[in-house]
Amino acid sequence: MTVPKPTVEEMQERAAIDRSARYPVLFFFTSAAAWLFVATILGFFSSLKLCVPSLFDSCPFLGYGRLFPMHMIALVYGWAMQAGIGVMLWLMARLTKNELRYGTTMIVMGHLWNFIISLAVLSVWAGYGRSIPLLDFPVWVWPMMALTYALIVVWLIPMFRSRRNSYVYVSEMYLVGAAVWFPWIFVAANLLINKGASPVMGAGTDAWYISNLIYFWMGPIALAVAYYIIPKITARPIYSYPLAQAGFWILAVLAGWTGFSRYMGGPLPAWIPAVSGAASIFILLAVVATVANFLPSLKGQTKLWEYSPSLRFTVMGMLMFVVYAVLAALSSTFTFGKDLQFSHFQIGLDTLAFYGFFSMTVFGAIYFIVPRITNAEWPSGSRIRTHFWFSTYGIITMVVCMLVGGIAQGGDMAQWDRDFSTSFVNSSAYMVGRCIAWGLISFSNFAFLYQLGLMFVGKGRKTDGPTLIHSEPGAAADARAAAGLS
Amino acid sequence: MALGVAFAIPWLLLVLVPYISLAKLEPVAYAEDELPDGGMTQYPDKNLLRHGASDYGRDIYASEGCAYCHTQMVRPTYAGPDMWRPGWGGREDDGFARETRPQDYVTEKYAPLGYQRIGPDLANVGNRITDRALMHEHLYNPKGIDRNSGMPAYKHLYKDSPFGKGYEPTEKAEALVDYLLSLKKDQPLPAVVATGG
Ligand code: HEC
Repeated sequence: MTVPKPTVEEMQERAAIDRSARYPVLFFFTSAAAWLFVATILGFFSSLKLCVPSLFDSCPFLGYGRLFPMHMIALVYGWAMQAGIGVMLWLMARLTKNELRYGTTMIVMGHLWNFIISLAVLSVWAGYGRSIPLLDFPVWVWPMMALTYALIVVWLIPMFRSRRNSYVYVSEMYLVGAAVWFPWIFVAANLLINKGASPVMGAGTDAWYISNLIYFWMGPIALAVAYYIIPKITARPIYSYPLAQAGFWILAVLAGWTGFSRYMGGPLPAWIPAVSGAASIFILLAVVATVANFLPSLKGQTKLWEYSPSLRFTVMGMLMFVVYAVLAALSSTFTFGKDLQFSHFQIGLDTLAFYGFFSMTVFGAIYFIVPRITNAEWPSGSRIRTHFWFSTYGIITMVVCMLVGGIAQGGDMAQWDRDFSTSFVNSSAYMVGRCIAWGLISFSNFAFLYQLGLMFVGKGRKTDGPTLIHSEPGAAADARAAAGLS
Repeated sequence: MALGVAFAIPWLLLVLVPYISLAKLEPVAYAEDELPDGGMTQYPDKNLLRHGASDYGRDIYASEGCAYCHTQMVRPTYAGPDMWRPGWGGREDDGFARETRPQDYVTEKYAPLGYQRIGPDLANVGNRITDRALMHEHLYNPKGIDRNSGMPAYKHLYKDSPFGKGYEPTEKAEALVDYLLSLKKDQPLPAVVATGG
């Protein structure tokens, strides 16, 4: 079975939608990529601080306790949020066949968002951080963030309402979910934490927030992308719509229960982390449903994997999603979790979510979207290759080092009669790995930012053949198929 | 819409209800026969802020991001070996070692349970390090205490002494040390609390 070819009118309509999305979406992507670059540099320096703790130790602005939260804020709100918003806008417009309206408002709000995130990062830098992971910024920052986000994303709802297809695409469900869930968890978490009436539940709520951000926002966006890109590029419809819906609802019902297992054994009623742990395990059902849906589409498509940057990034991102969900489930059980809790394993896991599965998938989307909205092709296939391999190796190095290092560190910590210092002396080699990993990732994203910058200023290639990872003369037909153009 | 319900149920049951019930925790008075030394009559004690630590010290702790390397939560034995580690669970010698409980954090607005354990747990550091000068030394020059220390020095909280050698703590360092010295989550539990009643 193949997807019917679009007619000329449809093509023109798509082009009009792409034009309408051009400036807002490109704006969000480009500023996201700039933040990503900043975040990776901060990631590198904060890791360096763990290798050489005494480095710059008389400078207040270069301590791990400040650089690391800055890195997280830049990575999540600077990069992930903006890239995610860009993807949401374009994908929603494309799927519902609506032109994107209020582009100017969005760009204004986008500038505002960048300004607020800069404030957030700088205030942590200047020593107003609060050591609340991912919500470190001073209290007055979050209402502005919530408002700006809402003013960008509300426009998705009327678009969704006026969709012009008879049934709801799976991707649309995920997009609407992500759009409405995030403000909710963000506001709920901030209100409770800042109220400060229950200090330990405050900390618990933060853990819940991080996990919900991953499963309620990053997950849905990444899945929306995958459910769009994979069928599109392989030109095969998704295997089973009911299965996809089941996956969606499993995620929707369970995601809100996760997170507290980060503090299992902590000063919270013991049932709370236990429930969270169970939810993390049952979420694997949603993952199985997703994988079962994608595998038939991907079977025998190694050639497309060779050529298409979008497919390659997206599939790699989905692979990491699976790994993330499995590891998160494992570490939320007492059996594995008690030694891994608070070890490098945790940070490996968080990074796997933020960079591994979310970012890789979204890169796939960006490689797909930007040529369409700018009407030009990526300048260089080999730079895409650099981006892919350095990112992939970088994130794999990072995650493997952190996971193995975490297990080693956790094992050392479990030996309670040995000196505590063994745990960080023995895991120091893995810290070097973490540094190298961020170095690789930084480098890869420099390549990405550079390309995107060229596209932004209109220096893309103006030919009709798409840029592929490998270009072979005479393979144009394959190439067009790989880019989803045929 | 169903999306809202999917979100609202866990939020209500998992977050809001426990939040409110924990926010309402009342101090528990000791029974007649279990009154500990030191004039404490209830748990948590009214004077939890021993050593006169102020919010300022806690803010420094938060803004320097100490919590990204240090936890402040001692897990019960079924969830990890924290309490066996000498000094982590409080004063073992007096039989007070125990896991941390929600009431131990009533002086904070946000419990700094922590993100990672690159350094040791600090829930009871006030029992392990009782000497003020030593605590300062730990912040100014941790390598002087343990050559392998992975703890970064916080020299910017100190001024070089005008008399040549040594260093002088700033106001911030003093507040931070006050806070650290006050960290003792080992108040003996009244029997009703300990048995979960
Ligand atoms: C990069 C991670 C890191 C950061 C950030 C950090 N520490 Fe540490 N800390 C360590 C390590 C590792 C040790 C164990 C080595 C040692 O005792 O010197 C330690 C030890 C300590 C000790 C001694 C504990 C004991 O039981 O002997 C104290 C007190 C301490 N840190 C306080 C702080 C304070 C206060 C801050 C924030 C201003 C802070 N630390 C920030 C890593 C860190």
